[in-house]
Amino acid sequence: MQTEFKIPDLGENIEGGDVVGVLVAKGDEIKEDQPIIELETDKAVVEVPSSISGKIIDVHVSEGDSATIGQLLITVETENKSIENPEPASHTPQPETEIPADAHAVPDTSAIPNQNTEDSKIVEFLLPDLGENIEGGEVIAVMVSVGDQLRENQPVLELETDKAVVEVPSSINGNVSGVNIKEGDTVTVGQTLITVEAEKNTPANTLAEPSADNTLAEPSSPADTDIEKTSPTIIEKSITPSPKETSLIPAAPSVRRLAREIGVNITEVNGTGPGGRISKNDVKSHSKSLHQSRTTGTSSIASVPLPDFSQWGDIEHQPMSKVRQITAERLTQASITIPMVTQFDKADVTDLEFWRKKHGKRAEAAGGKLTPTAIIIKILGAALKAFPQFNASIDVDRNEIIYKKYCNIGIAVDTEHGLMVPVVRDVDQKNIIELSVELSKLASKTRDRKISPSDMQGGCITISNVGVMGGTAFTPIVNPPEVAILGVARSSVEAIHIDGEFQPRTMMPLSLTYDHRLIDGADGARFLRWVCDALQNPFVVLLEG
Amino acid sequence: MSNTKIAIIGGGPGGYVAAFKAADAGLDVTLIDPEENPGGVCLYRGCIPSKTLLHIAKLINETRQASQWGIEFASPEINLDQVRAHKDNVIKKMTGGLGQLVKARKLKHIRAFAHFRDAHNLDLTLIDGSKESLTFEHAIVSTGSTPAMPGVFDTNDSRIMDSTSALDLQDVPKSMLIVGGGIIGMELGQVYAALGSSISVVEMMPGLIPPADRDLVKPLQEHLESQFENIWTKTKVTGVTPTSEGISVELDIPNGHTFTQTFSRVLISVGRVPNSSDIGIGNTNIQVDDRGFIQVNSQMRTTEPSIFAIGDVIGAGLAHTASHQGTLVAEILSGHEKLVFEPRAIPNVVYTDPEIAWCGLTEQQAKDQAVDCKIARFPWSASGRASAVGRNEGLTKLLIDPTNDRILGVGISGNNAGELIAEGVVAVEMGALASDIQLSIHPHPTLSETFMEAADVYYGQSPHMYTPRRN
Repeated sequence: MQTEFKIPDLGENIEGGDVVGVLVAKGDEIKEDQPIIELETDKAVVEVPSSISGKIIDVHVSEGDSATIGQLLITVETENKSIENPEPASHTPQPETEIPADAHAVPDTSAIPNQNTEDSKIVEFLLPDLGENIEGGEVIAVMVSVGDQLRENQPVLELETDKAVVEVPSSINGNVSGVNIKEGDTVTVGQTLITVEAEKNTPANTLAEPSADNTLAEPSSPADTDIEKTSPTIIEKSITPSPKETSLIPAAPSVRRLAREIGVNITEVNGTGPGGRISKNDVKSHSKSLHQSRTTGTSSIASVPLPDFSQWGDIEHQPMSKVRQITAERLTQASITIPMVTQFDKADVTDLEFWRKKHGKRAEAAGGKLTPTAIIIKILGAALKAFPQFNASIDVDRNEIIYKKYCNIGIAVDTEHGLMVPVVRDVDQKNIIELSVELSKLASKTRDRKISPSDMQGGCITISNVGVMGGTAFTPIVNPPEVAILGVARSSVEAIHIDGEFQPRTMMPLSLTYDHRLIDGADGARFLRWVCDALQNPFVVLLEG
Repeated sequence: MSNTKIAIIGGGPGGYVAAFKAADAGLDVTLIDPEENPGGVCLYRGCIPSKTLLHIAKLINETRQASQWGIEFASPEINLDQVRAHKDNVIKKMTGGLGQLVKARKLKHIRAFAHFRDAHNLDLTLIDGSKESLTFEHAIVSTGSTPAMPGVFDTNDSRIMDSTSALDLQDVPKSMLIVGGGIIGMELGQVYAALGSSISVVEMMPGLIPPADRDLVKPLQEHLESQFENIWTKTKVTGVTPTSEGISVELDIPNGHTFTQTFSRVLISVGRVPNSSDIGIGNTNIQVDDRGFIQVNSQMRTTEPSIFAIGDVIGAGLAHTASHQGTLVAEILSGHEKLVFEPRAIPNVVYTDPEIAWCGLTEQQAKDQAVDCKIARFPWSASGRASAVGRNEGLTKLLIDPTNDRILGVGISGNNAGELIAEGVVAVEMGALASDIQLSIHPHPTLSETFMEAADVYYGQSPHMYTPRRN
């Protein structure tokens, strides 16, 4: 009997990978659990073990191939052990796909290829809490069927709630063994949607829990509630839409009704039909895209519903300045997309302060001001050379890290118009006097709003010095696409225990926030310590910077 | 004192449809109407009786036309009592059917007149004179309208009729003046003309059926000119005096002349006024405009949050619009809270012979609102079916957005236009393109082909009508 062996589900949302080694050849006798190929996934290089025994008739992959789950690997003439392997070669999904994903990682597990109640269990996938007081909705489309291999986050159904059309993602990995709903059904939160023969690595307690995927919890747009709240007092002049209005939007009555019911403004929907005619699908995909853009956060500032503050006292409305709008949008984006960690440390700047004051006149003669910031710029530039991962950006789309061979430092400047970040260029090629001159010019240019957008681009890392204002430490937010920002708080004289006695030392508190996707905690700590050491003993800069 | 979730005041095509739909959705509904069965003006005193009589008029006219084809009928002998009884039977059949539907739904129907005490209570005067009260959560005002009777005509003389009394067919007057050249007047005028009355029409506006495009009115106008004695447009009635010979009417014609003529009867058809004045609206926050129409928003909500209004009482003016609004309110009350009234194409039909029907954008509206549109006309002189039935005077026209070929409006004039317009309504509502109509096979030989051929005209030439190209 010929049996096809396909790449089984490897768990952890692995979709496939590159074949880095083919460990068998045509004619080989293979045994169950024997590795067939080495696959480099986005997680690790794994061996894919066979779930069948027999003689290989054909090998369908070769080194360097890209392979995905379910792809045919080998055809095997199996021994007549139909008990172990009851499924003959066929075009239906193979039982092999039910190998527990961690089988190869746990060698002592007896990887039994066929259905095994110890490795899989039947669980029910319930309609999770969708947030926003949504109690349920109408099933528009069922996106799985019995026998499907279901992966976590794979959409199970399309649900039309009174807020939007949403896809309900699975929280389970496994084989769909039953579908309890059909199109047109009304389902409520907690109702069983499908039954799944779950893989054993699916945590049971996630099943009935609200979905971790918060994309479903969208803030209701103000438009949703408009009609009910305001309609009793609004009287339209004409009950019949003017022909001009009616000529605008080509959509059938049923489509317009769908848009009304799910709160989509049909005038914003792109019609894909002839003459721009809008279909139900157009309305749905518009709803979905709204949904996505809301949850990616770009519009989340605007979409949080506000209470009527005037009920508690006098208020005043003022337009948000452009700078404020951009700041709000950027920082929200950064907060949502970057996992940030802030590391605190203190630098002993007693000696540095002595020298800074002593040489202040030289900088003044050159037209600058020898501020702590000017010195920190120089030291930070040297630190970027010593720790290149801090002078980098992440290209999420391409899964690449971009390292920069230049060294530009952004300085957060407080202006009456709001926060701006001009960039000092090539700090590694300038001495501190030159930097202090440039910094003075740049800062006054910024405050006078004479700075050009290009002067604020191309930074590698940012310094935010609030020492003048005070504070002992703070948690600055990374200014993307940079990966780190150094916060400087107010220096103060502290009693430091040195050589067996307390000595008064001037300590500068530093706060380094970094993008944890690229920078590990140890590197963050090392980087900041390096900066502290360099401030304490600038000779380090000459040695390593 | 009883309670209901939804009180519906008025059992016309707005009210009874709302009641049925709401009841079918499982809501507790009470329908209040003085008649034994629902039906309203439409069934008792409007659409249905007038169409019954118009059918008879058409039959008479067709027998006359048949002489051209070698079929000679003797002059009809008209038994007016039997005609009236036939009409009344049709009304009884239809309203009786609605009564059965009320019973089948176990709908609460109270035969009474209703008066608002406040935003949640009604005082009811039952037809036997007894009083009751009804507490409601929501009310739907669907009290309809009554023929307008301007003061100058209000003489209490039974020879001065409105559409209601005209449908009673008291007699076939020797002569009749119809005041108002609108839809109702022209329909009833044709009925009486066919029965043998000499009809004159006086209309203040420059043409008959004012809201319709002129090219659509033209075929009807030509028929009326041969059927009616006089059609006076741009003319006003300045005096009315009942005399023993009849009603003496003073008419003011455009060039400043006035003259007086006596008619056996006068039919006043100058519009309808909303029934909003004696239902206790003052005890609620409902607002009405200066003509008495209840003001509503796009959800048919009045300015009193618990009360909706639909149909003629808000100025809808058409039974089918009222029914659509009734359905909408029933849906809103059963939980579809976001729906609004948003039709693209409300069909208007003049059930004269020939008929006139239109929906969506009219040519006049396009002109007034400067809507960029192209007009494609297909005259029925090129229609085989129109020739076969001897009715070549019709016209089918499409108003099309030239940027995307979308059909914005449809106008049809001719035999059966009222039936044909339904395709136009679907086309406009669906956002159909002229090419969709052009590429849909229409049955031959029918008048519906004219719709397809008008689309052909838009794209250049129709097979049955050739227009030489000018360069």
